Amino acid sequence: MASRTDTGPVAPRADLLQYLSDTALDADYARVTAARGAPVTSTARRRGIGPALGALLAFGMLVALAAVQTRSGASEAERESEALRAQIDDGRADFAALTGLSNVLQQQVADLQGTAETASQNDADLLADLGRFRTLTGAAAVSGPGVRVVADDAERTKPGGEGAVLDTDLQVLVNGLWQAGAEAIAINGNRISPLSAIRGAGFAITVNYRSLSPPYAVQAVGDSATLEARFVDTPGGQAWLDLETNFGLRFDMDTVESLSLPAAPAARLRVLYAERQGELP
Amino acid sequence: MIPVLGLVAGVVAGLLLQPTVPVPLQPYLPIAVVAALDAVFGALRAYLDGIFDDKVFVISFVSNVVIAALIVYLGDQLGVGGQLSTGVIVVLGIRIFSNVAAIRRHVFHA
Repeated sequence: MASRTDTGPVAPRADLLQYLSDTALDADYARVTAARGAPVTSTARRRGIGPALGALLAFGMLVALAAVQTRSGASEAERESEALRAQIDDGRADFAALTGLSNVLQQQVADLQGTAETASQNDADLLADLGRFRTLTGAAAVSGPGVRVVADDAERTKPGGEGAVLDTDLQVLVNGLWQAGAEAIAINGNRISPLSAIRGAGFAITVNYRSLSPPYAVQAVGDSATLEARFVDTPGGQAWLDLETNFGLRFDMDTVESLSLPAAPAARLRVLYAERQGELP
Repeated sequence: MIPVLGLVAGVVAGLLLQPTVPVPLQPYLPIAVVAALDAVFGALRAYLDGIFDDKVFVISFVSNVVIAALIVYLGDQLGVGGQLSTGVIVVLGIRIFSNVAAIRRHVFHA
């Protein structure tokens, strides 16, 4: 090796690796030594060790710095990946929590929908009840099939005479119609409500405090197929048969396919003292 | 003995002081270390060959470090920094192995 280094500049070689290993030692060492003459084993001692020591010092620092830097870089990368892992864990936890919340909310939505359906069903029931009760109490005008009765005094009868229609006769008639299955009744356009009275005032008959004059047209909504036949069998029917035959009162009953009855006056539907017991459904 | 003390003192100083390397220079520190390693092993071999010269050592040390860093810097600017680093490391590595082989022959006479 020494023999090669002390020959001047090295000629280029085709073999790069060989060239690299041949010129591994700087040729300058050999050249400087040759220029100085005999090899000196310790030039450092002769010239003072300052520069070489400084270079070695710098080398040591370089090595230490590179090592420190690489290690800190590695720990930094580790910290970062740690932070990212923590973020991933946090995200997963958030996701799980939100999924749970979503399930809970979906359950609540389903419950509320069920409640809403029940409520609207209740509303529908209440409306149906309300309509039925308004019909039954006479608060609402109604229409439907039924019978029309025309009752009149006997011919040539003075008011208050023997052949006149009395308030009790009309009461019996209305009672008989209820019994026969009527659902709504009006006399001369005066709807019978639960508070309506049929009574005589002098020679006149009043219904809902309105005086009526003969002939009395009584309209009853009900099953038009059975109402007439069933009325005849009631005590009211029998009573009117007697009135017809014995006193000559006129009585006509016709089946009508469509009747229209007005509502009772509001005064006849007022409730002042009766209090309802129990809850509404 | 004294050179070894200098080396140890350098390492200790680097570890204790930990001077901050400017961020733009940080990528070139490893390649500078390899280049310096080459210079140091070359110097050791020259010493054992009996042809050591401290001036040559200092110059080769500084120029090795600076040129290695410059080459890699140039490679970074051209977008081939990684490949050039590899090339420099390969060349310097071969030189280091050759020098260490010569040192081994001197020390163990084998």
